[in-house]
Amino acid sequence: MSVRPRADPVGIRLERISASFNDRSRGVVTAVRDIDLEVRPGELMTLLGPSGCGKTTTLRMIAGFQEPSGGKIFIGAQDVTRAPANQRDIGFVFQNYALFPHLTIFGNVAYGLEVRRRSTDEVRRAVDEVLDLVGLGGFGGRLPNELSGGQQQRVALARAIVIRPRVLLFDEPLSNLDAKLRVSMRAELRSLQQALHITSIYVTHDQEEAMAISDRIAVMENGRIAQLDTAEVLYRRPASAFVAGFLGRANLLRVTVTHVENGRATLAIGNQTLVACLDAPVSVGSAATVIVRPESISIAPPNGGLTGVVQTRTYLGEKVEYEVALAGQTLHVVRFDPAEDEGFSPGSTVSLIVPEAKLRVLDPGAGPT
Amino acid sequence: MRRPRDGVRLLVVVVLWLLLALFVLYPLARLIARAFSDDAGFSLQPLAAAIGNRDNVRAFRNSLLLATLVGICGTVLGFLFAFTVERTQAPRGWVRGLDNATLLPLISPPFTTSIAFVFSFGPRGFITHDLLRMNNASVYGLSSTLAAEALTYFPLAYLALRPMLAGIGGNIEEMAFSLGGSRWRVFRTVTLPLTIPGLANAFLLLFAASLADFATPLILAGNDLPVLPTQAYLQITGMFDLRGGAILSLFLLFPAAIVYFLQRHVVERRRFVTVTGKGGAGTPSQRISPLLGVGLRLACLAIVVFVLYLYALLVVASLVRAFGANYSATLAHYHVIFTEGLPAIEDTLIIAIIGMPLGGLYGVVMGYLVSRTRFAGRGVMEVVSMLNYALPGTIVGIAYLLAFNQRPIALTGTATIIIACYVFRYSPSGIRTTVALLQQIDRSIEEASFSLGAGSLTTFRRVMLPLILPAFFAALSIVFIRSMTAISATIFLVSINWTLITVRILENMTELSLGPAAAFSVFVIVAVMVVTSLLNLGLRRLTAPGLRLAIARQ
Repeated sequence: MSVRPRADPVGIRLERISASFNDRSRGVVTAVRDIDLEVRPGELMTLLGPSGCGKTTTLRMIAGFQEPSGGKIFIGAQDVTRAPANQRDIGFVFQNYALFPHLTIFGNVAYGLEVRRRSTDEVRRAVDEVLDLVGLGGFGGRLPNELSGGQQQRVALARAIVIRPRVLLFDEPLSNLDAKLRVSMRAELRSLQQALHITSIYVTHDQEEAMAISDRIAVMENGRIAQLDTAEVLYRRPASAFVAGFLGRANLLRVTVTHVENGRATLAIGNQTLVACLDAPVSVGSAATVIVRPESISIAPPNGGLTGVVQTRTYLGEKVEYEVALAGQTLHVVRFDPAEDEGFSPGSTVSLIVPEAKLRVLDPGAGPT
Repeated sequence: MRRPRDGVRLLVVVVLWLLLALFVLYPLARLIARAFSDDAGFSLQPLAAAIGNRDNVRAFRNSLLLATLVGICGTVLGFLFAFTVERTQAPRGWVRGLDNATLLPLISPPFTTSIAFVFSFGPRGFITHDLLRMNNASVYGLSSTLAAEALTYFPLAYLALRPMLAGIGGNIEEMAFSLGGSRWRVFRTVTLPLTIPGLANAFLLLFAASLADFATPLILAGNDLPVLPTQAYLQITGMFDLRGGAILSLFLLFPAAIVYFLQRHVVERRRFVTVTGKGGAGTPSQRISPLLGVGLRLACLAIVVFVLYLYALLVVASLVRAFGANYSATLAHYHVIFTEGLPAIEDTLIIAIIGMPLGGLYGVVMGYLVSRTRFAGRGVMEVVSMLNYALPGTIVGIAYLLAFNQRPIALTGTATIIIACYVFRYSPSGIRTTVALLQQIDRSIEEASFSLGAGSLTTFRRVMLPLILPAFFAALSIVFIRSMTAISATIFLVSINWTLITVRILENMTELSLGPAAAFSVFVIVAVMVVTSLLNLGLRRLTAPGLRLAIARQ
């Protein structure tokens, strides 16, 4: 039946894909630069990045809506670079749902099967089954604009999966929904994708959504993949300041390396020192950037060690955020579940405790900061 | 970035280019070639001679003068109507009545107003002769031509200005009020400046319409007011001077081209107003004083009554033995048009009915191609497809006459030439409607269809066609209306085998058989009304319920 898992999920491979086009005002614009990407069979890979980073362009090239200006696209073993969208055997879920406004829900979902000339019986059975699956059984006779946004997106999803595509492509499918619905829909999407075991690529600019839904995430910046890994690795060991800043919040501190020994480095910030574990070699005397997450820093009454001066304190219920001045730089510190009497008021001097394992010295060759 | 292409679209593009080359570019090239040559070959001598001719210069000056005056008067009338509808609290039914009345001139044969003017103000006119007891009143000249054209074309200005005024919205005006401006000050410093691009656009529309108008001056201008279209016509039919006619029609080209350029590149760029979709929720009563509102409404009413009076005269004239002399009722004129006049009626209907689906299909396909696909030469194709629409009919008619008069493509005397003329001249409004409609349909709808496995042909047929059906029907209506009412181009293309009602009306007018002319006019108006209502009904039947709902909710 149409919505049973495919026995044989296929991978997707991009080989040096690039996209450039002529823009009237800006001349030749390169949206995607020589991307290599391999999506494993059955995996859900997210392309994450700010607007204009090339993630949607990449997705649209995989779908066949745009032709790359260079490189090759493979779905499974098949080179689809020049194949039109209707011959790629994909399912695409659009940000604005893109339901056919003149067709009923049934008509929308049946469309892809009718194009494939399935028998009326088979179409009816498959559509009913998939509508049940997305929780819209009995809605077949409605029209798209009689449904809520969340329901419309379910129809769009049903329409995409009913044809048993080899690959599912999602273009910010949840960004038109309100915050609460987004959270519950993404869980549904994820469990459906896992149940159907369809190789999927998911585009979003929402880092939390990306972390919640993906097997792996490719963080994109300026048409390139900045880092590709699981959410946890990306968060714990960002390869660049951009990645660190895009997934969660990060403090970037400019320091000087004064001493390296046994995989640990002593770093000078102003006239104070920090110690950090090293993943990559750094040279003594060089300037470096260290990344530390706001929640990794503890704040305490002054008792020596690293000290700074509190500049602002913002109470947000489950947490308190501080801005602390440290050798002319500003450090963001977050304290969760703050005690009632905890209040380091602006102007007070505090000690900052940073575990050395939570400090990450950026590889100076890892790209622009 | 390109989308992977498929063969069907390429084929359609090639076919359309061939058609455009044959029916738009080739005739125009022949016209220009003829104007810039003498019997020996290329020569500027005929052109120089034509420019030196005082009659031609006078016709040129008259055309510009008339067009300017019609532009001003028509824009004022259009603004009056648009402002009254948008800014006074006119009741809904009242607005609908106004809309219908202003629609009348748009669906009538081009000389209905002129003929009615003759009935009203002519030597035996209802007002001049019967009421005022004047003898030998002269209706012919600048003022009556101006009045008739202004009344015929001001609905164009109304239709262009109304959305403009609605778009300015009450919020901006209310903002100005809240800053302490008086009503007059707000109108003067906010409303009017914001409307100026719209006013300029309306003026240019009317200027172009008047410049190209052939029928009204032919009937009303008289001998003292020669204008270019009539002069070109007389040159060709009276003196069999094709070259002279071609050159005169080219005189028309210059102002028409300037107007086209101004509309596309100056007015369009100066639009301040963007439609946000948020209606001004303000109370209109604040915006103008109630007394002024009543005054404006009365002014509109007076004009509507006058238009209706003209049409009533036409109906009466078609039903009495001899208007102005013998008012006894008779159906004789209708008997005439359905016996002697029957061939013209049959020919016109056959041409209209064949041209209608061709024009509708052409408009929708071309509109889809230029707005939704990318291919080399797309922009050029769009401009070329608009050419025959933008050019005055006289130019197009003479160009067709020159191009298809002889081998290799001898079409003169056939229905084909008339149908082709209508399709390529009037479908462009269908192209525009399609483009406008498609702008509201997100591209992802098509991409969804592609991603589900449908090719471009299936996508067009199953998704796009139902969505642009309203544009298709609008194109059908326009082509039908124009096929029934147009004359300026096709007067050069009729023959013994194929003639048109409008040409018969003109012949009747010159033979002073006014009764049959009135009866023909009434017939055309009724036929147009019946067919357009049938089309509307068909559209409502065929429009998918989902779309109907979507349209209703907008």
